[in-house]
Amino acid sequence: MVENARSINIVASILLAIGILYIVGPLYLTLSTASQSYEYMLRNGLAWVPGTELFANMGKVIHDTRIPVQMLNSMIVAFSNALATCALSFLSAYAIVYFRIRWAGVAFALILATIMLPLDIRVITTYQVASNIFSPLNAVLDFTGLNSLIEMAFGSPVQLELSVLDTHFGLVAPLVAHGTGTFLFRQFFMTLPKDLFKAARMDGAGPIRFLIDILLPLARASFASLFVLTFLSGWTQYLWPLVGASTPDMQTAVVGLARLVPDADGQVPDFPMIMAGAVLVSLVPLTMIAVLQRFLVQGLVLSEK
Amino acid sequence: MSSESSLFSHRWLPALLLAPLMLLIVLFFYVPVFQAFYWSFFLEQPFGGGSEFVGLQNFQRVLSDPEFWGATGRTVVFMLTASSLAVVVPLMLAIAADRKIGMSYPARNILVWPKGIAGASIGVVFAFIFNPFVGLMAPLNSLFPGLWNPGIDGTDAFITLVSAHVWSGIPFNFVILLAGLRSIPPTMYQAAAMDGAGPWRRIFDVQLPLIMPQLFLTFVLEFTESITSVFALIDTITGGGPGGSTTLLVYKIYVDGFRGFDLSGASTQTAILMVFVLLLAACQFFFIGRRINYER
Repeated sequence: MVENARSINIVASILLAIGILYIVGPLYLTLSTASQSYEYMLRNGLAWVPGTELFANMGKVIHDTRIPVQMLNSMIVAFSNALATCALSFLSAYAIVYFRIRWAGVAFALILATIMLPLDIRVITTYQVASNIFSPLNAVLDFTGLNSLIEMAFGSPVQLELSVLDTHFGLVAPLVAHGTGTFLFRQFFMTLPKDLFKAARMDGAGPIRFLIDILLPLARASFASLFVLTFLSGWTQYLWPLVGASTPDMQTAVVGLARLVPDADGQVPDFPMIMAGAVLVSLVPLTMIAVLQRFLVQGLVLSEK
Repeated sequence: MSSESSLFSHRWLPALLLAPLMLLIVLFFYVPVFQAFYWSFFLEQPFGGGSEFVGLQNFQRVLSDPEFWGATGRTVVFMLTASSLAVVVPLMLAIAADRKIGMSYPARNILVWPKGIAGASIGVVFAFIFNPFVGLMAPLNSLFPGLWNPGIDGTDAFITLVSAHVWSGIPFNFVILLAGLRSIPPTMYQAAAMDGAGPWRRIFDVQLPLIMPQLFLTFVLEFTESITSVFALIDTITGGGPGGSTTLLVYKIYVDGFRGFDLSGASTQTAILMVFVLLLAACQFFFIGRRINYER
């Protein structure tokens, strides 16, 4: 289509330039300040030009703080969140779409409802459950009166106790209890032609074989998208790891970074060191975005449809 | 072959496949949600000291607390300002990036970056950039003392929060809206151009009406998102201050529950917030969602 669209193109270019500046500006200032010394920052405030102290500041973060251990925690949390979400969502979407079960709609609705109330809202009671994951079972036993029967028979009621606070499992499990992945795979399965299923059945494929030999290879792109999405979400969590892990060695890097800023006012904090920490903590997810951007964009679009 | 036979029949396999995710969801979603409502009717001693049924007393206590209403009011103000900016800014950027111009390629790449930066990380960065003594505004502050100080002025702190929220909300909304724009068939533009609509006019008469579904969805999600994800920003930028002027409900619940050990109060507020979020989504679907034409 040939037409004169100069005015709108100029405005669009200016808008995009402002947008890019808005995104990159804070990142640049973080990096340039991270490369200056504390004394330079005290004299000049935030740094517009990069200095030479970047590795010295990063060294301070690595040697003087728990960030390295916490980055390992973040890695474990993000990785297992991504892996578990991919695997469990794939299986449950498979059960919902490809099996004749009467309660498929109910199961899907129950899973989907989790999207409505994010973990940050229900953090108080999730913490209580995590502090003893058998508490619901105990409550059910008490409520149904089974426990008094057990007490009569064995002398004492059942009161199981197991806390998952301060464990990697406890940090990950509430993140996996989420419906986006199931939704994404269900959407994907619905787009596959029905004949695929019929052909596989005619060739004698059972449920497991169909799952492994046909669906798994076809879903590779969906897996990649969901993996990137959940990895990033695991890495960037804040409130849950903040309360779910109380010792510095179990906390994630993002929580550790926030703890670098001293609470008390008074002396100006060592911002170059803190900014170097921010650079370190963001390095892994940003690399991931740079390398796997295609899948991230695809995942964002798919999780919405 | 009937459509029914294009499904497997198996007695226990589907249940087994669903079990792991269902177990996690029941344990870490439905039990906590239920418990928040349950506890709001009980006076709960901190961390396992027994409980006592008190009926609606918790609700009376919370609803008569001016701090609760202050936090609720600020939550609504934040929700309206931050989420509308967090949709409108990406919308303008998406419309711009949809044009075939040199800038649109780098923009599509760069505008996704914030997705990889945690809310708390960008909070730490923004706390530094907007620091009144060493940050961006420090030179202006030395010329006009007291012009900018988020540590004292609640409005300044609020602005910092909103700008950080918009920053981290750009990738998701931008990608969704751009995908919507790109799925508009080119014939629509050609038809509009034939009728004499220039590129500016087509924004309002073709593009905006046709991406209404995406726009609606980003708004629905953004409302919940702005209420919850703001916690990381508040905790790293303002700590709820100055003078409680940035204490939003999600932060107040955390402070009451984990620092004040007021489990009943925190659960009651959690229950109220949950009802609020669910009602909000329901309202949006019934009152606005219905008017949107999903046909193309």
